Amino acid sequence: MIKHPVLILEHLAVGYGRRVVLPDVNLRLERGSFTGLLGANGSGKSTLLKTLLGILPPLGGRFVLEPLNGRLPVLGYMPQRESLDPIYPLSSFEIVLMAACGRVGPGRLISKEEREFARQCLAETGAAELAPKLFSQLSGGQKQRVLMARALATKPDFLLLDEPTAGIDAHATRAVMEALKRIHAQHGQTVLLVSHDLATVRQYAKEVIWLHEGKVLHGAVDELLTRDKIEELLSLELR
Amino acid sequence: METLREVLDPDFLLRNSVYISLLVGLVCPLVGVYLVLRRLIFMGVALPQISSCGVAFTFSLQAWGIIPHLHEAEHALAFIGSTVFTLPTILLLSLMMRRGGGSAEGRLGTVYVLAGAWSVLLLVTNPLGEHGLLDMLKGEIISVSDADLARTAATFGTVMLVIFVFRKEFLLVSFDREMAITLKKNVAFWDALLFLLIGLAISMAVLSVGPLVTFGFLLIPPLIAHMFARNMRQFALIASSVGTLSAFAGFCIAYRLDFPVGPTDVVLLGLIYGFALLVWKGAGLMKTRLASAWPSRTV
Repeated sequence: MIKHPVLILEHLAVGYGRRVVLPDVNLRLERGSFTGLLGANGSGKSTLLKTLLGILPPLGGRFVLEPLNGRLPVLGYMPQRESLDPIYPLSSFEIVLMAACGRVGPGRLISKEEREFARQCLAETGAAELAPKLFSQLSGGQKQRVLMARALATKPDFLLLDEPTAGIDAHATRAVMEALKRIHAQHGQTVLLVSHDLATVRQYAKEVIWLHEGKVLHGAVDELLTRDKIEELLSLELR
Repeated sequence: METLREVLDPDFLLRNSVYISLLVGLVCPLVGVYLVLRRLIFMGVALPQISSCGVAFTFSLQAWGIIPHLHEAEHALAFIGSTVFTLPTILLLSLMMRRGGGSAEGRLGTVYVLAGAWSVLLLVTNPLGEHGLLDMLKGEIISVSDADLARTAATFGTVMLVIFVFRKEFLLVSFDREMAITLKKNVAFWDALLFLLIGLAISMAVLSVGPLVTFGFLLIPPLIAHMFARNMRQFALIASSVGTLSAFAGFCIAYRLDFPVGPTDVVLLGLIYGFALLVWKGAGLMKTRLASAWPSRTV
């Protein structure tokens, strides 16, 4: 089967300001893949993600988003929920509707179709009933499902999720990840999931990128997340 | 009732002052919504002070003979002075806040005291502008010409229109800058435009009602609205409605009791805020009791 890359990283260096976190990243992600980006706190997971999203400039090398049907792929981003200020009195519906800004020009009204699509996205993540509720008053799991609906409402070719299960309980983690699995199966977007939760990545992702002390390992979950490999990577005795 | 009839009479002598009060009450809370949401309340204190310093500086230029003293163009000149001081300051402060480092509150505090001190120094060395400027600092809204009213209405109208038309862009870059970047929005442009509008509104409001009243209307109505709003539309509508109604009621009370209008407005806003806080706390307590009586699980 011919594989089409959606993202190619060549000698990419990422970091903040002059501080390089990952000096030389080389990898490619195939279209429709579901990849977990693993690593300890401070290993550069979120920095790499933000560089790919254009939020941080690359410090060296380059990355290429391969065109899809003659246009650049649309990126759907799900940030960490703590990064959003709870002072804003925004309903969950308004949060999801923000995704329409990518398609609706400045000063133009958001159409009925866009509103309907936002409701559909909320329904797809199992958050339809949360639409009128204040986002700031939702539980961690509910917020994540609303943010996933927002990422979905950008009509993305490539979904990038930053720690979607951080700080939520096992029940909510399952609800969020099952929603993501369902969406991936239905729409076939490329998914890059940042996480430090090994068990979640092992269960849901097909590929894994492991960041460890500036090194980057990329491979299938079955190959990379074996006991021996993890021991070798972390230099830990699991016995 | 008698006061209300007088104030609403089309031939009321101070009708332009009523209109100016209503305009400030309508527009300042809309601008204040963004200052509150972006956690720039201290900027709302410092900027009116900078703006009045700009007005004092313009009056001084007239007193020093650098620009001619034209009574009919005084308002326009003062607006230019106010805007020239306010816009660069707001852009500079927002840029420094964005880049981080140092104490943002410290910088704003320094700007506030320096602007206040310079205003007073310029005021005492300027016999020409002393009377008018003192009235402005006290928040007196007495003599408003038709031309002044037209200029104020045009400026506030423009600010309101642009904020309304581009509300989704302003909200996106304020709430989630990173998302805005991923959607290919020019974040620096939308930030600059928003701060330009805030600066224009503050410049005009300070010229009309003084720095104290401007800050009162920038801050208190959005804080009241924040307690009750369930979405952004409600937030803006409640803030603007509270501002407009308080401005009108404050004017009536001040007229009836022969008080200065500005401080009366601010005290009234404070009382409404206190009452709203009691209602909000009471509603919160009731909600907690109901929730403990019928608990539900959320995921």
